[in-house]
Amino acid sequence: MSEMSSGLGVPTIPAPPEEPHLPPRQWIRENLFSSLFNTVLTIVSSLVILAIVRGLLAFIFNPQRQWEATATNLRLLMTQAYPEEQYLRVWVCVAVILTLTAMSMAVWRAGSAVPLPGVGRRLLSGGVLLAIMALLAPFGTRSTFIWLVIAIVVAAGGEALRRFADEERSLSTLALLAMALGGLVATLWVVPYGSHTFNLQRTPRVLAEPGTVAMSTKLPWTLMLVVAVAAYFVGTLVRDRLPTNPLRATLLVTWLLMPPILLYLVLRDPSFDMGHVFTTDIPIFAAYAVLGGALLSWLTRPSTGEAGRIVAALVLVAGFAMFVTPMRMIVRLDMLLLAGFALSAPTFSGGPRARRRYTAGWLGVLGMMSWLITAINTPSTVDVPGEFFIGGISLTLMVAIFTIVISFPLGLALALARTSNMPIFRLLATWFIEFVRGVPLITILIFFSIMVPLFLPPGMHLGEVAAVVIGYSLFSSAYLAENVRGGLQSVTRGQHEAAEAVGMTTSQKTVFIVLPQALRVAIPPLVGHCIGVFKETSLLAIIGLFDVLYIARYVMSNQTEFMGSTKENILFVSLIYWIFAYQMSKASQRLEQRTGLGER
Amino acid sequence: MTVPTTQERVSHRVPLWRDVVVLKWFTQVVLLVVVLSTMGFLASQAGDNLRARNISTSFDFLERPVDIQLSEGIDTHPDTGARALWTGMVNTLRMSIAGIFFATILGVVVGLARLSDNWLVRRLGSIWVETLRNIPLLVQMVFYFSVLTTLPRVGLGTGPINGWFHVSNKGISMPRVFIADGFYQWLVVVLIGAVAAHFVRQHRQQIQDETGAMTSPILWGLGTVALFGLVGLFVHPVFSWMGPVFGRIADLLDSLPVIAPQLGFSAIALGVAVTWIRRFLSAHRSARGHLSLSDDDWFRIVFAAVASLAVVFVAVRWTGLSAWTLDSGRDLFQVLADKFDVDGAARPFDAMRPDIIQKGKFPNYGKSGLTMSIGFAAVFFGVVFYTSAFIGENVRGGILAVPKGQSEAAKAVGLGRGQILRHVVLPQAFRVILPPTGNQYLNLLKNTSLAVAVGYSELVQVGSTTYNQTGMTLPVVAIWMLFYLSCSLTISVVVNWFNVRMRLVER
Repeated sequence: MSEMSSGLGVPTIPAPPEEPHLPPRQWIRENLFSSLFNTVLTIVSSLVILAIVRGLLAFIFNPQRQWEATATNLRLLMTQAYPEEQYLRVWVCVAVILTLTAMSMAVWRAGSAVPLPGVGRRLLSGGVLLAIMALLAPFGTRSTFIWLVIAIVVAAGGEALRRFADEERSLSTLALLAMALGGLVATLWVVPYGSHTFNLQRTPRVLAEPGTVAMSTKLPWTLMLVVAVAAYFVGTLVRDRLPTNPLRATLLVTWLLMPPILLYLVLRDPSFDMGHVFTTDIPIFAAYAVLGGALLSWLTRPSTGEAGRIVAALVLVAGFAMFVTPMRMIVRLDMLLLAGFALSAPTFSGGPRARRRYTAGWLGVLGMMSWLITAINTPSTVDVPGEFFIGGISLTLMVAIFTIVISFPLGLALALARTSNMPIFRLLATWFIEFVRGVPLITILIFFSIMVPLFLPPGMHLGEVAAVVIGYSLFSSAYLAENVRGGLQSVTRGQHEAAEAVGMTTSQKTVFIVLPQALRVAIPPLVGHCIGVFKETSLLAIIGLFDVLYIARYVMSNQTEFMGSTKENILFVSLIYWIFAYQMSKASQRLEQRTGLGER
Repeated sequence: MTVPTTQERVSHRVPLWRDVVVLKWFTQVVLLVVVLSTMGFLASQAGDNLRARNISTSFDFLERPVDIQLSEGIDTHPDTGARALWTGMVNTLRMSIAGIFFATILGVVVGLARLSDNWLVRRLGSIWVETLRNIPLLVQMVFYFSVLTTLPRVGLGTGPINGWFHVSNKGISMPRVFIADGFYQWLVVVLIGAVAAHFVRQHRQQIQDETGAMTSPILWGLGTVALFGLVGLFVHPVFSWMGPVFGRIADLLDSLPVIAPQLGFSAIALGVAVTWIRRFLSAHRSARGHLSLSDDDWFRIVFAAVASLAVVFVAVRWTGLSAWTLDSGRDLFQVLADKFDVDGAARPFDAMRPDIIQKGKFPNYGKSGLTMSIGFAAVFFGVVFYTSAFIGENVRGGILAVPKGQSEAAKAVGLGRGQILRHVVLPQAFRVILPPTGNQYLNLLKNTSLAVAVGYSELVQVGSTTYNQTGMTLPVVAIWMLFYLSCSLTISVVVNWFNVRMRLVER
C-alpha cells in the first residue's frame, strides 16, 4: 500500500494551498479595518473579548476558588470507589489501551511534521497572548511580574526559533505531544496533587488527604508514558516489516475485542473454577469449534446447494428443541449461534479463502461468547461493598462505549428494515424509530432505571447500570439507524441493479455492495452521533448514577473541606468533556478531509 | 451448455423453500409473532409483578388531591395530579417557545459572525460554537445554575441598573410592560392602520413597477402602521363607542333561538359540500363535456356528501352544540363590551419596575417585575446557547451552499450588499438551513426535560415528583411520552409545511 492511501483505501486529497503570509500591517488592514463597518465590528468585538477574558481570569484566579477540590478528588472523578488494593487491574487496563493507541498511531502514521520556524511562530504568539493575559488578570504585582517574565521568555524563545532555525528541519507533532505528556507526568513528582480515601466502614464518606495522590500515581504514570512511547516504536518497527493490511485488520479486531475483556478485568476478575473449566467449558467449546467448523466449511462450499439449506434449517430446529429439553444454557446458545451462522452461510460461500475466513469468524465469535458466558457464571474476586462501585470517567466511558457497540448492529438492522421492501419490517422499524426519536432521552433512562425490574420474570436480576445501558442503546440505535439510512439512500440504483445482474442474492448484495458504500458515506454523521452519545452520558447524573457530573455536583461539594466548590468542579468536568468531544470532532473532520467525504 | 427453452423454464417450478415471496412473508410473519409474543410476555410479567407488589396502574391519581409544591407556573399549589401535570406541560411549552425564538436569533447571528470578513468576529464565532457544542448541555445548565445560586442575596442595591434590572440568587428581574385598560381601543386604531398600510404599500409598489424608481413599499407600509400606533396612543378613546355596540350584539345573541345556529351549521355544511362536488365535477370534465370518473373519485364524492350530511345530523340532533355556540358568542361579545367600556383616560400600556417583598425571613421578588427564576434562567441560557451553536452551524452551511456565482451575478446586476443577502443568498440558503434547524427545534423541546436537574418545574420534574408521591410511575411515563410525541409531531408538521412551501419548483 502506498503512502498516498488512507485507511479506507481512498486516495488522499491534497490539502488546499495555504494562504500566503501577508506582512502584519497589511494583514491587519485587510482583516480588521477594511471598511467603516468592519472597524466598528473590530472595536466592539475587542471590547467583548476583553470583558470575557478579564471575567474568566478573575473567576479562575479568584482566591475564593477552591481548585484543590478537583486536584484532591482526581481519583474519585476517575474511578469513584474502586478498591485501592485492586488498583493494579486499572493500571493494566490503562496500559493496554495506551499500548493499542500508540501502536495504532504508528501503524496509521498519525501526526505530521511542523517546520521549526512554524513552531517558533506559534510560541511567539503564545507568549504575546500570555503577556496580554498577565496584564489583564487581576493579580497582585508579584504574580503579574512572574507571569510577564514567563511570557517574555516564551516569546523570546519563539522569536529566536523563528529567526534562526533552519526551514528544512521540522518537529513531529507526536514528539510535541510526548513532550507535553512528559512534562505533565514530571509535575506529578513535584506537585502534591492530593488524594482521598474512601471510608467504607461506616457511612461511605470521602476523606480528603491533601498531598498523597502524587505518591501513589507518579510511578504508574511514568511507567505508562514509557510503555506508550515503547509501544509507538514497536509499532513503527512492525509497520515497516509486516504487510500493512493484515496488520491494520488485526489491530482493529483487537480494538473491537477490548471492551468485554477489559470490563471483566476491571469489574469482576472472574475466579474460574479450573476443574469445571477444563471438564465442561473447554470440551463444549472444542466440540462446537470442530463440528461447527466442519459443518460451516461444508455449507460455504458453492456446490453444496439445496442440501445445505435443509441442514441449516434442521440446525435451527435443533437449537429451538434444545430449549425444551434439559440442557446446559451454554450448549443451547451455542447451537442457536451455529444455526445463525449456518443460515447465512450461502451469502458468504465461495473459494477456499472465503470459506476459511468464514470458519475463522465462527471460531472467533464462538470463543468470545464462551468466554463471556463462562465469565458471567463465575463468582467475582473483586469484593466491593455498595451498589455500584465504579463511577466517574470510567463509568462515563464504559456506558458510552457499550452503548455505541450495542447500538451499532441494532441501528444497522433498523435502517435495513426501514428501507426494505417488506411492509411488516418497514412498519415496525419506522414506528420504533419515530417513537424513540419523539421522546427525550431522560424519560427513557428513567423508565429503564426504575421500571425494568417490573418486566423481568421472577428470579432474574439486572443491575441498574446494565438496564440503563440497554435503554440508552435502544435510544441511540434509532438515531444511528437514521444516519445509516441517509447513507443507504445515497447508494444509487445502478449499484443495486448491477449486483442483481451479476446474480447476487439479496443478502449478498446488501453485505458486499450496498452496506460498504452506505457506511462510508455515513461516517461523518456516525462520528457526530458517537460524540452525542458520549456527551449525553451526563444524563446518568439525573437518575442518580455516580458519573463525573454527579460526583462533581453532589459528592465533592459536600465534602467538609470543599463546601460550595460546585462551580469549580463543574468547570473542570466541562473541560474533561470538552477535550474528549473536541478531539473526536477534529479527528472526524480530518478523516472527512482525508477521504474526501465532505466534497461532492 | 444448453440454454433452457421457455417451455422448460416455465415447467421448472421453484420449490416452496426457495420461493422468494413465500420466504419474505414467512420471515415477516415470524418476526411479527416474535415481537408480539415478546411484548405480550413482558406485559404479562409486568402485570404479575405489579399485582404482587400491589401497585395500581390506573390514572385515578389525576383526579385525586396531591400535595405538591411547584417552583413556578400557572398554579404553584395544584390541587389535583392533573392540574400539577398541566402546569408542568405549560412550563415546558413556555420554555420551548422562548428557547426556540431566542436560539434562532442568536443562531443566525452566530452563523453570520462565522462568515464575517472581520477576523476577530469570525474567531469569536468559532470559539462560541466549538466551546458550546462540545460541552454537554446538562453540564452547562448545572454550571449556570451553580453560578446563579452563588449570586448575592436579593436587595434593592443588587443588579447592574439600580432599581430597574436586578440580578440576584432569586433570579433576574426587569421592568415589565403589560397591556392596560385602553389596549383594545388602541388595537382598533392599529388594525385600521394595517388596512391603510396595505393600500399605501400597494400604491408605492405600483409606482415602483411603473417608473422603476426605488420606492421601498414595505418600509412605507410598516411606517404607516407605526404612525397609526403612535397617534393611537393619544386618540384611542375615540373608539370607546364600540363598547355599547358589542353589548348590543351580545344581547342579540342572547335572544336568538337555538334553531338559528342549527340552521346556520347545516347550511354551511351543505353549501361547502355542494360547492366542492360541483368544482370537482367541473374539474374532471373534459373540454367536450365528457365526464370520466374512477371508482376513487366516486368514493370521494360520496364521502363528501356523507360527511356534510353527518355534520347536519350532528348539528340538528346535538342541541348542546348550538346552545354552546350561542352562549360562547354572547360571552365573547360581553367580554369585548367590558374591555371597551373604560374610562377615557386609560392608557393602552403600562410598565412596572421590579419590586421586592419580604415575606418571612428571606426577601424575594414581588409580582410587578418580569422575573426569571434561577431555574428558568439556567435552563433558558442552557438551551438557547447550546442550540444557537448548532443553528449557527446550519446557517453557515446553508449560506456556503449557495454557489458563489449567485452572489457574483447579483453584484454584476448592480445589487447592493444587503440586497444580495436579502433577495439572492438568503432565500436559497433558507432551503438548506430549514430541515436541520427543524431538527434542532425538536432537540430543544426534548432538551427542556433536562430542567429536572435544576429544579425548574417542567413536565418531567413535576412527573417525577408526582410518581415519587403516588407511586404511579407507569401512567406518568405514559403521559410524558404522549406529550412529547405530540409536541414533536406538531413541530415536524409545521417544519414540513414550510419545507414543502420553500421547495425548489423544478421542471
